[in-house]
This record gives sequence, C-alpha cells and structure tokens, in this order.
Amino acid sequence: MTDRTVLHAVDLGRRFGKHVALRGVDLELAPGRVTALLGANGAGKSTLLRLAVGLLQPQTGSLRVLGLDSCRDAETLRQRIGYVPDRPDAPGALTVDELCRFAAAHYRRWDATRVDELIDRLEVPRRQRFRTLSKGQAMGAMLVLALGHDPELLLLDEPFGGLDPLVREEVLRCVLDAWRGDERTILCATHELELAARIADDVAILAEGALCAHASVEDLLGTDAPGDLPRGLHAALVRATRTSPSHAETPHLETVPC
Amino acid sequence: MDDFRVDPAAHTPPSVQIVEHLLDALSTGRFAAGDKLPSVRSLAVDVLVNPNTVAKAYAELERQGVVAGRNGSGVYVTAEGPDHARSLRRASTLQDFVRTTAAALRAGHDAEALRLALVESSNQASRSTDTHCETPQGANHR
Repeated sequence: MTDRTVLHAVDLGRRFGKHVALRGVDLELAPGRVTALLGANGAGKSTLLRLAVGLLQPQTGSLRVLGLDSCRDAETLRQRIGYVPDRPDAPGALTVDELCRFAAAHYRRWDATRVDELIDRLEVPRRQRFRTLSKGQAMGAMLVLALGHDPELLLLDEPFGGLDPLVREEVLRCVLDAWRGDERTILCATHELELAARIADDVAILAEGALCAHASVEDLLGTDAPGDLPRGLHAALVRATRTSPSHAETPHLETVPC
Repeated sequence: MDDFRVDPAAHTPPSVQIVEHLLDALSTGRFAAGDKLPSVRSLAVDVLVNPNTVAKAYAELERQGVVAGRNGSGVYVTAEGPDHARSLRRASTLQDFVRTTAAALRAGHDAEALRLALVESSNQASRSTDTHCETPQGANHR
C-alpha cells in the first residue's frame, strides 16, 4: 500500500445473521483508476460499497478509505466520497432543487455551477418531488447529488440497472465525464458487461463474498486475445464463480454476450 | 465529432479503434495540421469509452508522430501529421484489401469480376468527388 491508496481493505468481512456477505477481502484501489465491480446477485458488491461509505461497520479486518478509517472517520469521509446506492434513497417529498440546497448546506465543496450543468445534461426536472421522478430521472438526481461536492472517490451501485437505453447512455456519459485523472477514483458495481468494458481500467470480481480477481482489463483477459471484451469479462466471471468457496452456479447476468 | 463509437465487442481493442478512427479523420482532412484534438475527457464521452483508453490512443498517435502534446494546452496535429496519417491508412487499407481479395478468390470469384468491381467503385468514388468539386465552381461561373 502506498500513502495514496484510495481504498485499502485487509481481510475485510461482514455477515448478516448467518449469511456471510463478505469474507476475507483484500483489496487496494489506486488513485485515478475506474474499477468495475462484478459479481452475481448476492456476491457482496453492495455490502462492499456500503462498508466503503461507512454505512456498515466491518466485523473482521480493516478498511481504510482515503487514508482514514471507514467508520471512525465516516463524517470526514462523507465530504470526500460520492455514493449512489442501488435504490435511490433521497427523501421523496423534497424537490430536486430542495435536495440540492440541502446538500449544498452540508458539503463544504459543493459546486452549484457544476450541479446546474449536470442537472441540465441529465434533464432532471428541478421542481418535481423526488418520489414522482421516473427511474432514469431519479438516477440522474442521485448522480448529481453524488458528484456535486467534487468527491475524490465515487462509489456507484448498479447505476445502469433498469434504465431505458437512452437514459442509460446519458448515465454512461455522465460517469465517463466524472473522470478527473488521478484526482478521482471510481468504483462501479454493475451486471452490465458491455458497459463495464466501456468504463473500466480495472475489474474486481466477487463471488459469494470473496474477492476472486482484481486486475486491469488487459491483465485479466490477456493481451493475446484482446477482442470482444464483454465476452472475455463473462468468461472471467464464470471462471471466478467456479473457483469461489462453494462452486456456485453460473452467475445470473443481465447481459450475457452470445 | 461524428457518430463514431467504440465497440467493446469488436475484435480490435478499443484504443486501436480510436487510433484508426483518428488516422482516418486526419487523412480525409477532418483535422488539418495544427488543429487541436478534442480533450481526452470529451472524446471519451463522445465515443463512450474510459478516458484512459483515449489517453492511450493519443499516446500511440504521438508515438507515430501524427500528433504532439503541447505542455498542458492539449494535443495538436503535427505539420507532417495528415500526410503521415494518409500513408499509414494507405498501408493498412491495402493490407485489408489484399486479405479481402484473397478471401473473395477463395470463395470462387474470378479475378476479372473483382477487377470490374474495383473499377466500378473507383468510378463511383471519382464521380462523387467530381460532384463535390463542380458545385461551387459551377455556381461561380454563373
């Protein structure tokens, strides 16, 4: 680990009752990398992101984010992390404008100009209550709220899930546009391998709570067979799942390349 | 820029797709010597791929001497860039042509039929160039 390591998990584990959601995860994210977090439903992707943002406490091991303790320093970290949960969780009675004003008061680095640009780009209706937004508009609003304070670490949990193709493309553009070189690191959980192949420098694969692979796309797929990245990622996922703790079945995927 | 998008499922790696696309844009005059290329981030958003992949493509074009970075202000087409891009494109498209011709011959086409097809596409290409050139001149004469 270098002192610039953005996320550093050592033997990280978390269970819910008898269910082991995450076990023995060792993971380091270097600054500026875009990492696609892949894995079947229930593989532990959301748990890892929620641990990283300090919403959950690790039960084993340790997790340092931006050099700080993910739990003890959660308040400080909140200023430096942007997080989009798998289900939009903003208060439904507030309008997008009200949500932004609320966020602006809490974040020291809130950038109103940038927020206005994002709202226009994603065509989020400003004066509509959050609960009345379409799925795509709600995702747009969540992205705006996650990016408004110029975070150093952006955590996205299935940002493309259930969106129509046009909205999905806008969200994709927004994620690509969020890149800031070494100034921002992005970890994005997704089932969509075609989109993962577009956004990712690196891929991390979870199966049954264990980290099975973490490598650059080139290293994972091999430079001798560079073609068809989504298919290569699919093969890597199947391999990872076969070597997982209890030989799970082929992961359920939304996009299985033929 | 135009409707070009990286196809992650194609056999050619994304950064190579971008290199080929930009060489094509240079050799057909869409970028001239001294022109500034789009920023890494804006091209990434246009072609729907990770900015580091675009940066890799720009580095390859720079290695080929087609573009050069000017400290901090961006990436520009070099003086010899368009000519160099044309010769690179000529070499690679000739290779493609030879490969495709071989496949067509194997599939049972005779050489004469392929020659006629080539002459026909060449005529079509020159006709479309003529129309492009004639229209403004014709307007001037009148």
